[in-house]
Order: sequence, then C-alpha cells, then structure tokens
Amino acid sequence: MTTMTGSRSQLSPAARIARMHRQGKLTALLLFLPPALVLFTLFVIWPIFNAANLSFFKWSGYGAIDNFVGTQNYQRLANHSVFHQSLWNSVKLILASLFIQIPLALTLALLIYKKTSINTAFRLIFFAPYILAEIASGVIWSFIFDGDFGVSGQIATALGIEPFYILADRQFAFLAIITVVVWKYFGYHMMIFIAALQAVPDDLIEAADIDGAGRWQKVFYVKLPLIMHAIKLSAFFAIVGALQVFDIIIPLTNGGPSNSTHSIVSYLYTYGLAQLNVGYGAAVGVVLFILCMVTAFSYRRLAMGKGGAL
Amino acid sequence: MKSFCLGAATVLGLTLAGSALADDVRMLAIEPNVPEGRQYYLDVAKAYEAANPGTKVQFDFLDDTSFKSKLPTLLQSSARPDAFFTWTGGVFYEQAKAGVLKDISVDFTDADRKNYSPSGIQSMSHDGKLYGVPMYAASVVLWYNKALVEKAGVDPKAIKNWEDLLAASKKIQGAGIVPIVMGGKDKWPIALFYGQLAARIAGTDGVAAADKGENEGFNNPAFVQAGEALKQLADLKPFQPGYMDTTQPKAAGLFGDGKGAFYLAGNFLVGAQAQNSASGKGLGDDLDFITFPAVDGGKGDPADTFGGVNGWLVTKDAGKSTVDFLKFLTNNKNQTEGGRLKIWLPIGTDAQSGIADPRLRRIAEGLSKAPHHQLYLDQMLGASVGAALNDAAAQIVTGDISPEEAAALVEEAREMR
Amino acid sequence: MNRPGFFLALVRAAVLSIVAALVIVPLIATFLGGFKSVGELRASPFGLPPVWRIETYTDILGGPVFWGYIQNSLIISFSAVFLTLMLASMAAYIFAQIHFFGSKYIQAYLLLGLMFPFATAIVPLFLQIRNFGLLDNPLGVILPQTAFSMAFAIVLLRSFFQQLPKELFEAAYVDGCGYIGFFFRFTLPLSTPILATVGTFVFVQSWNNYLLPLVVINDSAGYTWPLGIMRYRGEFMVEWNRILAFVSLTILPALIFFTFTQKYIVAGLTRGSVKG
Repeated sequence: MTTMTGSRSQLSPAARIARMHRQGKLTALLLFLPPALVLFTLFVIWPIFNAANLSFFKWSGYGAIDNFVGTQNYQRLANHSVFHQSLWNSVKLILASLFIQIPLALTLALLIYKKTSINTAFRLIFFAPYILAEIASGVIWSFIFDGDFGVSGQIATALGIEPFYILADRQFAFLAIITVVVWKYFGYHMMIFIAALQAVPDDLIEAADIDGAGRWQKVFYVKLPLIMHAIKLSAFFAIVGALQVFDIIIPLTNGGPSNSTHSIVSYLYTYGLAQLNVGYGAAVGVVLFILCMVTAFSYRRLAMGKGGAL
Repeated sequence: MKSFCLGAATVLGLTLAGSALADDVRMLAIEPNVPEGRQYYLDVAKAYEAANPGTKVQFDFLDDTSFKSKLPTLLQSSARPDAFFTWTGGVFYEQAKAGVLKDISVDFTDADRKNYSPSGIQSMSHDGKLYGVPMYAASVVLWYNKALVEKAGVDPKAIKNWEDLLAASKKIQGAGIVPIVMGGKDKWPIALFYGQLAARIAGTDGVAAADKGENEGFNNPAFVQAGEALKQLADLKPFQPGYMDTTQPKAAGLFGDGKGAFYLAGNFLVGAQAQNSASGKGLGDDLDFITFPAVDGGKGDPADTFGGVNGWLVTKDAGKSTVDFLKFLTNNKNQTEGGRLKIWLPIGTDAQSGIADPRLRRIAEGLSKAPHHQLYLDQMLGASVGAALNDAAAQIVTGDISPEEAAALVEEAREMR
Repeated sequence: MNRPGFFLALVRAAVLSIVAALVIVPLIATFLGGFKSVGELRASPFGLPPVWRIETYTDILGGPVFWGYIQNSLIISFSAVFLTLMLASMAAYIFAQIHFFGSKYIQAYLLLGLMFPFATAIVPLFLQIRNFGLLDNPLGVILPQTAFSMAFAIVLLRSFFQQLPKELFEAAYVDGCGYIGFFFRFTLPLSTPILATVGTFVFVQSWNNYLLPLVVINDSAGYTWPLGIMRYRGEFMVEWNRILAFVSLTILPALIFFTFTQKYIVAGLTRGSVKG
C-alpha cells in the first residue's frame, strides 16, 4: 500500500502534487471524483442550503418569496406540542429499531445465512416487505389492525371480548406503527448480516469446534464479534432511517388520533407541504437535518472508532 | 450498455413528445369519483376537437392529494396546464394573488354568464375579476337509513332543529343502533358538522366576517357555540366504535352495510355507500335524506346549503382556445350529460333536467333555491386554516380540547395566514 | 442427529415458519385483494375472494397505460442504478485507492446526503430541477435520485474496494496499467457483487419513489407507476382492489431484479461491510 499510494513523507505540497501527477493519480482524481461531487452538490447540498434559507420566510409556495419573518418559524416549531410528540415518537422508533428490529434481523440471519435452497427462499420472503411499496404496506396493515374485519377484530371476536381499534387508540396506535416499520425494514438489515456472516472464515468455526465450543459459545464468542462492523453499520442505517420514517404513517394513521403518531417527516409533510406553509416545512427540515447530523457524527465517534466504515 | 443507450434514446423521444403546440389546450383534472367521469372528459375533448380542427385538447388526471401537493410547484413552471380543477376558496385566492392566473372577465359577456348561477360565477371571482368557469356544486345533507330509523321509531322528517337530532340520536341508541356513522380518521367528515353548525349559527355573513377577522374572528361567540353543539353531540357517543380509525370511504361502506342510522355527507354518498358496501349494492331505496337541522336563534337561514363549488381556473399565458373550450365543456348539453351520468350536480342554470335519481334531483333543487351556499369551511379558509379547523373539530369530538380552545386554534391559524 | 440438535432444528423451523407467515400473510392479502370488490376487500380483507374477479388484473394488464408506466419506471430506475453505480464507484475508488489532502473532509461532506430524505426539501429541489430545464424530463428524476443515493453507495463501495488484494494493483501498475485503466480492467469486474448489492437498494428506492416524479413529471405519458396507480383514488372513493392488483403486478419486476442479483448480493455485502 505504501509504495503505491505514496508515503506521506516530508515533501512540499507542490512536490506531492507533482508526484501524484507522475503516477497518474492526479488525472484519476480529477476525472473520477468531480462527477459524483458535482451531482451531489447540485441536487442534495444546494437544495438543503436553499431550504435553510426558506426557513426564515413565510411562503405559501405561490408568488414571490419576500416575507422575511426571521426565526418565527423556529419559534412556532419550538412551541408546537405536536412537533414535540413527533420528536418523542422518533426516539421510540430509534429504540425499537435498535432493540427489536436489529436483534430480530440478526437472529434470522444466524438461522438462514448458510447457502441452501430453502434458506434462499426464506431470504426472498423476508426481503419482500422491503420491496413492497409503502402505499400497499400501509393499506394492508390498516386492514390487519381494523377492529371490525381485521385480524385484531377476529381475535377479539374469538376471545369474546370487545373489538379493539388499535389505530384509533392514542396509547397503542404508535405501537402499531412500530410493528409495521419493523415488519417492513428488518429484511434489509438481515441481508447485511447474512452477508457478513458468510464471510466468517470456516477455519475459525472449525477451530472453535476443536476447542469444544458449544453452539451458543460459537455464536457469542466467534460469530458476533467477527461481524461487529456490520452490526454497527446496520445500526447506523437504522437510526438515520428511523429519523426519516414517513411513507408508512400517512396511510396507517395519517398522524392521528389527536396528532399523536406523527414522525418528524410526516409532521413536516402535513404541516409544511400539505398546508402550504413551505417556509415552516423548511424549518422542520433544517431541524431534522441537524438532528441527523449530530446523531450521525456522535455515533461515528462513539461506535465506529477511527477509520470505521463511515 | 447497449440497453442503456436504448433507454437514453427513449428518454429523448419522450421529452420531444412532451412539448405541446401553441394554442392547444392542456387541462389538469382530479380523478373523478366514477370511472365514467374520466371517459366523459375525454369524450367532451374529442367532440371539441372534431368541431375545432387543428386544436388539441389533452386531459391529465391526478388524485386530489397528489394534485394539491403538486399544484404550487407546477403553476410556477412553464409546464403549467392551461386550465386546472379548483375547489375555489382560500387556495384560489392565493393563486390569484400570486399572479399565476389569467383574468378572463372580458371573455365572458353577460350572455355567457347567464348560463351559470350567479353564485357560481361569484365563486370564480376574486377582487372583481373572473378567473375561471364553474362546473358543479356539492351540497351536504343528512342522509339516513329508512329501515333503521323506522325500527328505532324515529321520524326523520320531524327533525327540525339541533335538539331534535340529539333526541333522535338518543332514541336510536336506545334501540341498540349506532346513530351516526363517522369517518373520523380523515377529520373533515367531523368538520362537516362543525362547519354546518357554524353556518347555521353565524350565517354565511358571519362566517365571511370571521374569515376577514371581523368581530374577533373565530373567537366570536358563534363559533364557540358551534363547538359546544358539536360537543353535545359527541358527548352522546353516537358514532360507531373505532370511528377515529375509520376513513371516509370505509365509513360510507359501513353506512351502506346498514351499520348506522345517519350519515352527514354530500351528494357523492349515493354512489360511495353502494360502491364501498360489502354487497356492492348499498342501501338502495332505503337511502334518503333530510336537510341539516336548524339551530334555534341562529342567524343562518335553514334553507341555506353547505358544500363545494368546483370548476376550472385559467392560468396566465393560456391561449384563446382554453376559454373557448371551457365554455364548451360547461355548455348546457355537456352539463346535462354530466348530471345524467351522476358524475356531479351541474351548476348550469338549466342543466338539472338530466338528473335521474330523485334524491339527487331534490338536492339540486335545494341548491338552486338556497338563499346562500356556504362553501366548505376548510376550502373557504385555505390550506393551513382549513386544516386547523378540521383538526380542531376532531379534537372537540375526541375530548382533547374545549370549544373555546378549538375556536382559538382556528383563529390563531387565521392570524398566521 | 443427536437429541438437542433435533430439538434445536425443530425450534429453528418453528421460528422461521412463524416469521415467514407473519411476513407473507400481508403479501398474500395484497395479491388476493386484487381479486375482490372494494366492499369485499373491506369486509373480508384476508379471506379468499367469493368470486375470483380476474378482470381487475386483466384490465390492468390489457389497458393502454400500464405498460407505459412500467416502461417509464424501468427507464428511470435502470438509469438511476447505472448512473449511481458509475459515479459512486469512481468516487469510491478514489477514496479507497488514493490518499490525498481533504479526502476525509470530502467523505464527511458526502455523508450529509444520508441525513436528508426527499420530502424535506422537495420545493427547493423542484426549483433546482426547473432551473436546469429538466421538468417533464426523466433526467429530472434520474439525476436527483442518483445524487441522493450517492452517499450510501459510496460508503459501501469504498469499503469493498479497500478489500481488493493490494498485490493485484502492484502487479498491474508495474505492467504499465495506470489508475484509470486499473479501475476499468480490474476493480469494476472484480466488484460485480457489491455493485449488484448497491444496485438492488437503489433500484427498489427508485422504483417505489412517488414524491419526486410527482413534482417533476407533468405529462401523463411520462408518469411512473406510483403516479399511475393514483388514478384509482377518486376524491371520495378509492378503488383499493385495483390499487392492490396494480401493486402486486409492479412488485414482480423488483422481485425478479432481487432474485437475479441474489447470489451477488450475498457475496457482495460480505466483503463490503465486514471489514469496514
């Protein structure tokens, strides 16, 4: 590696660039990096920047953007109880993702990571919810939770108790949403774990066998430590994903009952876009962005260590 | 690689095909509630093209939610359609103020205007300028299931005021029947009660005054009183179990299944309760309606109607053909045909003759005789205040807030507008 | 097989079957829903349809618009996949292969792309697309989707490229193969697994994306299927049976894509994520 990528010795910057050029590195750098960076900057960073700017305006989406209101949007946001609830809901989603979804995905991955045709079939099944469009997931699950005709209604009838309408219940509606989120996204994490598990070298397992390690010992002392990087990466995607849950909430509860089940993004959509408060929505977006960034960079610091996968 | 190049070629082809010629007419409509609706528009377009060779009329359709999300961005791009569907009210005023619409006052002579009801023309105007053409109206009535009210011993025709309705609900409940089916998840079905009550108590003038912020805006006692009346009803627990997890279409299906006695909704319910019912047939002849009851001491005329007005707004830079086509689309013959197909209640002055369903016909007659037609409050007030109003109504019913707090919430949103 | 082994196998089979059932019942209900009427769907969402209304499916398949939507969606999704893989792998290659000043900062900058779903800035994004004159153009959907996939793709691809044996590069370099030549002749061909992995995730996200095509595409001839499906949502009546039938039909291409890339995926993520 050192010979190829250059020992970072005491060369002057100019000399370093000259050497990079000789090695053909500079050409590669100038040819390969800019397209991705330019596209990313134009369609991701620039809109973020503009959204940040919009968040200081009151703008309905129609007409000129000329009603500067300072931090008014942020003040409203800070005082809106529905937004507080959506933050709290996002915390619940993160916890559920970390402590229900990831362990579930990991368990299943441990059960089916070996390459057999039946395992391949299970993989396809477990990954299918991730493929199913959000709109269909939402409506099918709202049928499941239906107190009259859905599965929960049939269970209640069978037990001879009053039907229970979970999506209409302030206490439990969000639990229903968490269920669907876990259902829809666990397969994604499972795929990451399966792949990682397959990379655990067979000789390590054999060595553990020779040492007389039991089934569980092999899992906890050999397999899990070896895929820790995949777990950390997956947990990172889970956290950021949980902060961005959106499409599933609108068809399930539409944020209700009593606005108790909004996520940050469904809040943004409902109170920003749908109600034509574009500036206000932008302020929500900025807050979300900062939350994600703080979470991501502190996670990187805490969990990934130096030179981690991120 | 090869397949990608093919893809890119198709991409180019699409782009070229997308650009329209100068005086063609591009219309953006919402998805009609009945499949015949789509075909109807396409047929009218074809008929117009046949009569006006060289002009093409294209209809694009979007469901109402997508339509509303898309419109602000669309209208500010060069890809804007020449005319688009509107619910009139607050959002229309925003669009007019932003200068994305075309003033078509001069294109409509007095003779042209005679084909439409004055209130329809009024709905399409802002600051004295006409921006569009009305096409149909919706009117909310209190539907009932004949068999169920009979079984409970209630005579719906005798329900004249709000107290009567409360008493009837109690009696129906006593007979073990759900008094009112409600699609609470969508919130606006609850707000229909709130808005209707406000219109009966404050009158259309009172509602208009509140919209302008006169007399304390929505903090005016009339709106608190409307909230109190709604709370009186909610306190009886008259809705089916799980009503807050019931969307409007599902509620219509439950009503069509005979799961409750009353249902407050517009004329669309005739089709919706049948289509969503388990049998696909709905209540049939057991479906009838009364007008919304009066409120004692209220300023609103009990003959006033409440509901929507819909039509088409013309965008700036639209060519001459657009207005011409809109006149064609809303001419007497096409209006009558639309009414006959049960797509809507036509707003044209002479177009009611085609309505076959006697109930729909009665609604249409009520509309034409009404001293005032109050626009749905959420549409009148615009997107943000309208949503606040729907939310406030739902929260009165679930008991989260008091009628005073509800009124204050709406007023706060109005002041932020 | 010994006794505890047999017992564990039984538990394993039970766990897998239960989870599979929980996963698959909603999927089957989606498929069956397409055979019911709206009312039947509401009153009996999980039962077998009393009458098999095949016409819901055949109407969609035989209708004039379905294949147009699918074609538009395929063009957009495949283009987004291709562009993402191309640009992200080039950038990831630089990060993996060349140390240069600012590399860390640029990677942190790209990480910002993970913090930001479409919905949060759809209006500024729209304005940007409009300024480039890309409205009503599939590129107006493809380019932003590619940009938004960039961060995730680069993270995975870079960590995979770092695992390629160093000796290979040294040998190639001595033989006169430059950095660019090495990328095309060795890195890409050796990385089909991770490319397939990232490709699948990008494909699914692009395939199901609704909000971006909604604001970019105006002409219904250019609609992607998530826009096309909305034709069954009237203002007061939603034809859920048709929506479910439509979704069932559109899940197939994505499933085929997944099945096709399955063997690559498994091998791919392995090396990408494990060593980080």
